[in-house]
Amino acid sequence: MPRPLLLVSSLCILAVAACGNDACPSGEVLNSIGQCVPADERGRCADFDPLKQVYWGDTHAHTELSFDANMQGTRTTQDDAYAFARGEAIPLQPYDENGAPTRMAQIDRPLDFVMLSDHAEFLGTLAVCNDPDSPAYDARQCVDYRAAQEFDADPREVIFIFVEINGLYLFPPEDVRYPALCGPDAAICIDAGMDVWSDIVDKAEAAYDRSDSCEFTTFPGYEWSGVPFNRNMHRNVMFKNGNVTSQPYGYFDEPYPKGLWDRLEEECLSAGNGCDVLTVPHNTNLSDGIEFDAEIAYGAPFTSDYVEQRNLMEPLIEIYQHKGASECLPGQPVPDEQCGFELLPYRNIGAQNQDTQGPPNPKSFLRYAYGEGMKYERDLGTNPFAYGITAASDTHISAPGFVAENDFKGHAGSGQPNRFLPPPAGFPDQEYLSPGGLTGVWAEENAREAIFSAFRNKEVFGTSGPRIAVRMFGGWDYPSSICDDEDLAAQGYAGGVPMGGMLEAQSGSGGPQFVVSAKQDPMGAPLQRVQVVKGWLDGDEYQVRVYEVAGNPENGASVDLDTCVPSGSGASDLCQLWQDPDFDPSERAYYYARVIENPTCRWSTFQCSQAEYDCNDWDYDSCQALEATGQSSYLCDCCDPSAGLNVDWCESVDCTNPEDLPEDEARCCVARVQPIIQERAWTSPIWYQPPG
Amino acid sequence: MLRVLLHYFLIGGLLFSAKAFYERRGVEGPEIAVRVPAQASEAEVDRIVREAILLNEARRYGWDRRDPVVFSHLVRNMRFIEPETTEDDATLYKRALDMRMHEHDPIVRARLLYRAREALAFVPEDRMPTREELEAHRDQHVERFERESRVRFQQVFLSRTKRGDSLAADASRMREKLTVLGDAPPAGLGDPLPGLRPEIVATPSKVHTAYGPELADAVGEALVGVWRGPVSSVYGLHFIKVLEKEPARVPPLDAIVAEVRADLLREVRAELRKERMAALRDAYTVHIERMP
Repeated sequence: MPRPLLLVSSLCILAVAACGNDACPSGEVLNSIGQCVPADERGRCADFDPLKQVYWGDTHAHTELSFDANMQGTRTTQDDAYAFARGEAIPLQPYDENGAPTRMAQIDRPLDFVMLSDHAEFLGTLAVCNDPDSPAYDARQCVDYRAAQEFDADPREVIFIFVEINGLYLFPPEDVRYPALCGPDAAICIDAGMDVWSDIVDKAEAAYDRSDSCEFTTFPGYEWSGVPFNRNMHRNVMFKNGNVTSQPYGYFDEPYPKGLWDRLEEECLSAGNGCDVLTVPHNTNLSDGIEFDAEIAYGAPFTSDYVEQRNLMEPLIEIYQHKGASECLPGQPVPDEQCGFELLPYRNIGAQNQDTQGPPNPKSFLRYAYGEGMKYERDLGTNPFAYGITAASDTHISAPGFVAENDFKGHAGSGQPNRFLPPPAGFPDQEYLSPGGLTGVWAEENAREAIFSAFRNKEVFGTSGPRIAVRMFGGWDYPSSICDDEDLAAQGYAGGVPMGGMLEAQSGSGGPQFVVSAKQDPMGAPLQRVQVVKGWLDGDEYQVRVYEVAGNPENGASVDLDTCVPSGSGASDLCQLWQDPDFDPSERAYYYARVIENPTCRWSTFQCSQAEYDCNDWDYDSCQALEATGQSSYLCDCCDPSAGLNVDWCESVDCTNPEDLPEDEARCCVARVQPIIQERAWTSPIWYQPPG
Repeated sequence: MLRVLLHYFLIGGLLFSAKAFYERRGVEGPEIAVRVPAQASEAEVDRIVREAILLNEARRYGWDRRDPVVFSHLVRNMRFIEPETTEDDATLYKRALDMRMHEHDPIVRARLLYRAREALAFVPEDRMPTREELEAHRDQHVERFERESRVRFQQVFLSRTKRGDSLAADASRMREKLTVLGDAPPAGLGDPLPGLRPEIVATPSKVHTAYGPELADAVGEALVGVWRGPVSSVYGLHFIKVLEKEPARVPPLDAIVAEVRADLLREVRAELRKERMAALRDAYTVHIERMP
């Protein structure tokens, strides 16, 4: 039971000498929140490999503990989420009148590691609203929340209470507060939240395979979910092990990222108890540029201390997930055809929720951050944005790693606000959203210490879903035969640095060399090509260039839009040693690889290819009327020009003044998804720092 | 959380000691009548009886009158029936009870059953598993904690992309080389592939995930100490030599104690539910009436 153990822990903090691991059975140690957990050690796994293996995971997944998932009918637990990641089928909403699920979900192959990241802000709120003995149980918001769970709940009321509570995320930092039901100083919810947090750590412990088989690794974590004025600032907090902070710090506790880092640094990194933690921002694409703003808080500019802290606490970024890619915006600063991949047509998360389309802010993307980061490094000595790359699903149905385009069941409540309502008979989610991606990690073994170290060292990469394994090393003097040598990895480490590393200047050398080696997903499409994206600082301007280094962008591979059957050939593996032909040793630079698959159908196209409809029957008004009832159909969804399939219908429509067009023709002027996509992997960059 | 557990503990304790309670007082346990469909099977009758007992217990503790979920639901019902009413919630609730709405409403029924079942499953401190019990549980349920078998094998890979049309011929030559290799490791042979090592330890399912079913099957079926191949995968052709096969095994308790504890607690809860339900059933006198 968490509370007494927490008390034990507190007492131990007061009298360290008197307590310790004696409180636990042999082979176990006391963690920072008073739980006895088995000791971990490096090198325990049977498949330990000093040259590292690739492991696949998802570090962004929500369960019933997240208020937004809960309100959308998710009833699956953290235990269910771990079971799903290990290959078991789990139930999905909607539920029938008897409470039986009407759908199931199962991953196509297990994951190696998972971090569940339920929103910290309402962990306690949900607990007290569901606890009949809580003093807040009868609070109006709790009563409304429970009423919204009933079979006959009016969807409008559900949305109202959802907005009333979940909308607290949107308050500016200076005004943010816990829901009123939490009482004075929010003590009721903070207290309950600590209990839930303790359970989360317990469950992660129970699901972690500590045998030498090392089949599955878990990390305790949560999501800090500030969205001031609809501008997304979310970041996930990932702990290395069961030594965690006593409380999960959310936006209501610490309304600025710096406050969060201060807490984590003080209570974890400086605690001297083996606690380690990092934070991972995501969906900067919906931040309207504030994620990489040049201020700490209240207009204060970056300082040396601040950039050092940010660099320490936040080594990684989620480049892609369910709510789109954050890599780059076409034309910013250079044309790059690949920047259109899963690009959301919204400026911020509020616009996304309300489908108010508009051009994204160029300052919301990683390319901007990488450029600005080099300037800070030059001016303040540290790069606060030297991010390594991850990708994740951000599932809200307890289904980590559920990223297959051909089995997309929607991100949350299948497009419905009430868990009992039937899913729409069309797309299970908004057309611009997608299943999300995965993180690949190069680590010696599938255990917490090794995987977490890989995260901290940025030897990680993100994919848009497929398990495309990619390795990258940078050095000055690799042999030209390295791609033919079976000891590529050994040579890679010996002669340089892996992805995520810093390449020190070397006098008398030509340009730096990069070896990129990639293999296709054995269940996915062949590879089409490998690119190296280089960015550098040229005075006060940052520049970008994309180099084609392996494969063939003109390989003729294609896919049939009607059947989703691919055609043409590609590569099962690609490897290339590439030297920067434009290197200037005096310029800061970064290099990351992008591995591109042959074309395949997007999830929306897969579903349309399997549905029966005739776009000659498409009538926008009828579809609007259907949508007003909370329903849809494949005819409506697939024939709407936004799905990118019924584009002939738009041939004669002039989008010069879309506001003057009839509503159906105006649909031709909204953003269109790419019906055919090219899945990909992005490596963490290798950085080059000039002498001095 | 602690408060909830305490609450369930008290209620669970009452439920569990139902028979003893009645016996001590020298009075008969509760008597209820249950109506079941004429064609109902024995299992259906049993389920209906169990639910009737739990509902009766829930009502005996007054949950149908004091549970806030029941309260808000009945008030909503009343406001639905009488949309123009100006009466306050408490009055509407009382009227709903007077109308015996709480006895027939399916949501109220589900809520009461939920609370009763949660109470039945509460685990008191003296039922928390000891180390010996954990050890025994692990040994009794080997299949739940067993780790997959592992194979240690050497591998030589020929890339389809790199070798193109010469792949088959190269494979023939490689096979000849391996035949004369003896026990020497296949150093310097074949092509690299990210994550591929000349010698690895892996489970068949891991090989399946990384390279596909053909190689996984080949690794599983191969004889120890003999080069086998070529085996096809999406990447090209593979030759394998299995060095050692380790059967499926159960790890020591220290390595999986949290996993075993969580699994055992699931069982303990189920047992408690069963024991307490049986105690209640024993204490109750149930008259079953079959309806046409």
